[in-house]
Amino acid sequence: MFETALTYNDLMFLAKGAGMTLMVTAISVFIGTVLGIIFGVFRYQVGALWAMPLTFVLDVFRSIPLLIQLVLANAFITTVLKIKVSGLTVACGVLSLYTAAYCAEIVRGGIEAVPLPLRRAARSLGMTWGQDMTSVVMPLATRVALPSWIGLALGVMKDSALVYIVQVVELLKSTQILITRLQEPLFLLMICGLFYFVISFPIARFGGYLEKRWSND
Amino acid sequence: MKSSILAAGLVAATCATPAMADKLDDIISAGVLRCAVVLDFPPMGSRDADNNPIGFDVDYCNDLAAALGVTAEVVETTFPERIPSLMSGSVDVVVGSTSDTLERAKTVGMTMPYYAFENAVVVSEKSGITDEAGMQGKTVGATAGTYEAIWLEEKVKEWGAGEFRPYQNQADVFLALSQGQLDATVSTMEVAQANVKTGNFPGISIVAKADMVPDYVALVTLREEYGLLNFMNLFINQQVRTGRYAELYTKWVGEGEPANLTIPGVYR
Repeated sequence: MFETALTYNDLMFLAKGAGMTLMVTAISVFIGTVLGIIFGVFRYQVGALWAMPLTFVLDVFRSIPLLIQLVLANAFITTVLKIKVSGLTVACGVLSLYTAAYCAEIVRGGIEAVPLPLRRAARSLGMTWGQDMTSVVMPLATRVALPSWIGLALGVMKDSALVYIVQVVELLKSTQILITRLQEPLFLLMICGLFYFVISFPIARFGGYLEKRWSND
Repeated sequence: MKSSILAAGLVAATCATPAMADKLDDIISAGVLRCAVVLDFPPMGSRDADNNPIGFDVDYCNDLAAALGVTAEVVETTFPERIPSLMSGSVDVVVGSTSDTLERAKTVGMTMPYYAFENAVVVSEKSGITDEAGMQGKTVGATAGTYEAIWLEEKVKEWGAGEFRPYQNQADVFLALSQGQLDATVSTMEVAQANVKTGNFPGISIVAKADMVPDYVALVTLREEYGLLNFMNLFINQQVRTGRYAELYTKWVGEGEPANLTIPGVYR
């Protein structure tokens, strides 16, 4: 019952898949967060009416299942535009925009959570808009937005399992390859789950640590 | 007036289409041939202990890439995903044991057959059967519901002698054969070779090919890519001519003659 045909080579193969998952996640969360901050600030600053086109585009990314986005983006770029790009590029591009769409909401929520009187006070003291944003809004909004952002990052990491559809061999795909060869689905999925846990647990704990450190009581 | 302008516009639009490089040119200029291969279908496609793709189809893809002077990229595909992955442009050709059905030919372009799955007569050595006719009046069996089982049952009815026994799965059939409960069975040559090779079933052997229509499989690409289809047809011809086809058969399937890829009495 506890015998397995899993070898050291196969574990390395899984680790490579986990590395790919981490890489896709890191790139997407980074680009997605930068874009998300820009979009979020923009939406807050220009008001609902002027931000409507952007809101619409972001809503599209939030409401269409990621799997469909990946397939359509891949087909559009490679067959319609005839641009030769790797599946990894497509995967990172789509995931970044997907992350950005969610992150923009988190950022907007964070900014809105900063009390307006406080911001007016800052401006009354002679601070410029930029100073107000960086020295008053950012520190407060970050504290509010951090838990949601950690949740988003972990979510994107798990959603990255879908990028196998554009030929990126990440953790889940590597597991499926091994399942086909070794025919031990339950055992292999357990190991795969363990890998995901090992990756996400430190991120979740790091988020908890930051939250505690930043709270001012 | 308006319609004549429209017509002129249409004519202009049709004529103005520039001469385009076809897929054959695209592959050569890109330097990469992307083949869809099914990797859970040994011996045609599977993975080795280091999880690298191996198999008849993988080698065939590599040969095709070498003939084009490009590098091969094996893209793992499942059976139902073969044609969609081709249509969505994520692969250039399908080297995936695709049966050349007329239904598929409405959607994609098929080359001439590059391989054929034949059926073998596998017997219990004690029965003394040496060919297909020898099965007459004996106890035969196969996995219930398969093409081979239907064919065998039909044969038994035709002979009016002997017995047909259905089994739940292929392993049971070979086990029954090995234990002497069955005298003979018919199964795909690849499956028969693989099972005989395992040594789990002593006392069974492949004696002949069954006289059934083989399952011909073709290389597949987009149906409008005549340049590439043309090239691949010649490539398949060359594979057979140079003996590479027989070499790959020995390497992946086993000893013996590979299937004849031509059909007597008709072109192609």
